[in-house]
Amino acid sequence: MFSTRKASLLFALIGVLGCDIALPAPLPVGHPADDTPRAGGTLRFASLGDVRSIDPARCNDGVSSSLVRFLFAALIEFDEQGKLVPELAERWEVLDGGTRFRFFIRQDVRFHDGSPLTAEDVKRSLERALHPDTPNPSASYFRNVVGYDLYADKKVPHLDGIEVEGSHLLSIRLTSPDAAFLPLLTLPPARPVCKSAGAQFADNWAPCGTGPFQLRDGGWSKGQFVRVVRNPMYFVPGLPHLDAIEMHFLMNPPTQRFKFEVGELDFVRDLTHADTIRFARDRRWQDAIARGPDLDVYGESMNTEMPPFDNVEVRRAVAAALDRKAFTAVRPLHLSVNTATLPQSMPGVDATFQGQTFDLEKALEHMRRAGYPFDPKTGQGGYPKTISYLVYPLGIHEKTGQLVQQQLSRIGIRIELRLVSWASYLSLSQRQGAVAISPQGWQQDFPDPSGVLDPLFSSTSINATESSNSAFYRNPALDSMLARAHTEFDPERRKDIYRTCNRILVEDAPWAFTTSLHSFEIRQPYLRGYTPHPVHSYNFARTWLDRSTTGTPSSLGPRR
Amino acid sequence: MGRLFWALAVVFAVASASFFLLAALPGDPARIVAGPQARPADLVRVRKDLQLDRSIVARYGLFLKKLVHIAGDPKASEHASCERVIPLVRGYELHIDLGRSYQHRAPVAKVIFTRYPRSMALAIAGIVIQLLIGVTVGSIAAAKKGTWIDRFLTGITSLGVSAPTFLTAVLLQYLFAHRLRWLPLDGFGDTFLDHVRSIALPALTLGLYGAAYFARLTRDELITLMSQDFVRTARAKGTSRLRAFVVHGLRGALLPLVTAAGLELGSLAGGAAVTESIFRWPGLGHLGVEAVLNRDGPMVIGVVFVAASTVVMATAAIDIFGHWLHPLAREKSSE
Repeated sequence: MFSTRKASLLFALIGVLGCDIALPAPLPVGHPADDTPRAGGTLRFASLGDVRSIDPARCNDGVSSSLVRFLFAALIEFDEQGKLVPELAERWEVLDGGTRFRFFIRQDVRFHDGSPLTAEDVKRSLERALHPDTPNPSASYFRNVVGYDLYADKKVPHLDGIEVEGSHLLSIRLTSPDAAFLPLLTLPPARPVCKSAGAQFADNWAPCGTGPFQLRDGGWSKGQFVRVVRNPMYFVPGLPHLDAIEMHFLMNPPTQRFKFEVGELDFVRDLTHADTIRFARDRRWQDAIARGPDLDVYGESMNTEMPPFDNVEVRRAVAAALDRKAFTAVRPLHLSVNTATLPQSMPGVDATFQGQTFDLEKALEHMRRAGYPFDPKTGQGGYPKTISYLVYPLGIHEKTGQLVQQQLSRIGIRIELRLVSWASYLSLSQRQGAVAISPQGWQQDFPDPSGVLDPLFSSTSINATESSNSAFYRNPALDSMLARAHTEFDPERRKDIYRTCNRILVEDAPWAFTTSLHSFEIRQPYLRGYTPHPVHSYNFARTWLDRSTTGTPSSLGPRR
Repeated sequence: MGRLFWALAVVFAVASASFFLLAALPGDPARIVAGPQARPADLVRVRKDLQLDRSIVARYGLFLKKLVHIAGDPKASEHASCERVIPLVRGYELHIDLGRSYQHRAPVAKVIFTRYPRSMALAIAGIVIQLLIGVTVGSIAAAKKGTWIDRFLTGITSLGVSAPTFLTAVLLQYLFAHRLRWLPLDGFGDTFLDHVRSIALPALTLGLYGAAYFARLTRDELITLMSQDFVRTARAKGTSRLRAFVVHGLRGALLPLVTAAGLELGSLAGGAAVTESIFRWPGLGHLGVEAVLNRDGPMVIGVVFVAASTVVMATAAIDIFGHWLHPLAREKSSE
């Protein structure tokens, strides 16, 4: 009979296929005792996402920003400690009280097509990226440059504020002093492009810049892969060590793990959560694991114009009622507790500042002061109406939203989860008068507090729709501090200003700050010289490959 | 002629419905294009760039006007997003214009027509495997009706129908690509041989899923047919069991099988989203899902238009072949 014997065979087969989840040992390193970088080899990694463009003028997603850095160098760049350092500019000066930035451009830099980099190229590249016909969504970041409005309205052919003062000398003039302007020059649109890019954006331009790698014909297959090869004319002697980098797109986490195990990928970040935990717990892999930078801050944004969050005591109650440790359990390897406005890895953040802390008694006291006393024993009292809470499917917030619902019920705030699409969530959660509370996140474009605090909490960021200040929070004292920070060029005094801003926001609680998100990076031990970067993902500028020619994963069959 | 009219009406209605449905959904496509952190001034620019600042009626009018048209000067800039369908006389051409994709910044028709043959290839390969497995298993089950073999095969087919493609796909990847290393884990490849090797696992995934349906269909049809009077008569006249099975049984089951295969082909050619995504097969399915998530309206409408047209064409083809395959219908038309 079929029944017992064949059924057990069938399940044994499924077991063999599906249940082999143990990790193999790491692939061997060629010369573990020798730290001398070795030239050559192709580094391969993959991403769950795709890139929309490799043109720095049209680059607004995380994956393409990292890729752009391989191909396009910037005037200045953040180093691995998050400090601004020269790159294409040998040095720079801040003049006229912070309204003029003068850059002394290196004379030994050549584009991938062999032509030398000049100040004219930098001006042309910036004008191309900021031209109104260029689909550059972050062009208005540069609106403080003199003449930007006239240029954006096509009333003048050039941006007056960008002045070529010599073949390798360039000045950028601003309408008002801005201590936060320099970090903008590390963004993709400010990276010089070859003359072949012309003065205006075109979709079919073959990317060409001054970065350590270059793109050759056939090097990019959309939705599949991009392969960049070493730029032999790169201006930093001895770099890069790698011959090429291959990045594969839209690759599923299980496929990434399968390829990583056999050495077909050298670096992974997008594994399933279960697989990430397996690697994190496996002692053999400990030296090959790194925590990436805190790129996103998360919190519960409370609309200060809508009841009950127009009452600061209710907002304080929410901030005190959330047990943030429970939030990190949703993604223990990727989420960290964050009790204030800025992620901990941002330079200058005061690590000793406690911020908003979990204290249920304090939260109940705030509810009492707000006029909504709640008795947790009887469940009587609290805010009388149910509040709608907007979430979108498949993200972290779908799960943390349930925690918010559960934890706020302990202080008498009843939450109803409302699941909408990602597009609807974005639109509704930032529309005036539409949503009382929603989860929000912010990914830093550059590690400067202005890049987080201005868009999220300045009253100048309030709009009827698409308001990045989703709490619709207005505080003249904070506005004045944020404006002062832009004109303060002394780093220590600037840090003090932002510490005061931080205290105001923690106290006023337009957001209940909860967590920050970081990546979890696993590399093959033979991928050497890798350090996570505080700003950029995939920091492969100084890495090299030292793969042993002997030794293959023992559990696998022959390669055909 | 009536059928052609209805086919065109169905395609038109589906394309129009998707146009209005997308416009009615909350959420701003410009926001998705510009990114969640874009500033209001940037959004205004993006909206203008995408023509989203125009009224829905104006956009629909433009969509209909451009959808299928005859171009007198094909090289004019207004035909930049067109795909040439048929060259006509005196330099005139019949064009399809599905607009420009917000995300790809390329003509929708061009992107779709690059991907369509790949989805079609995967669909055909999948159907072939479905039929090969399905008809074989179904025939054996019918021949061994009521025995443990029949029950075992019926059980296996239930498993095939129940197992989601993402599970089958990962198990196949694990076995054939990761452990045995016979086939690539995913991708499309560069050469024809690469394409053939790369299509094997996604086609097998689709094949195993759909084979269950064909197996059940074949089994049920064969069992019904084999108990018919004309088969019994043939057997009484001395026809062997095998011959009766193949000539009278399988031939009779051909019509429902072809009908089912045609409809399946139509739906698979529109894109098998999950399978294409797992195996990174660059077809229409993944393109469509990506377009919906990104609120890329022109691309969604384009994919729906092409998928609907394929189903309609497949249905029309079934009508014709069904007519030819069915003896009674053939006799009627010859009378």
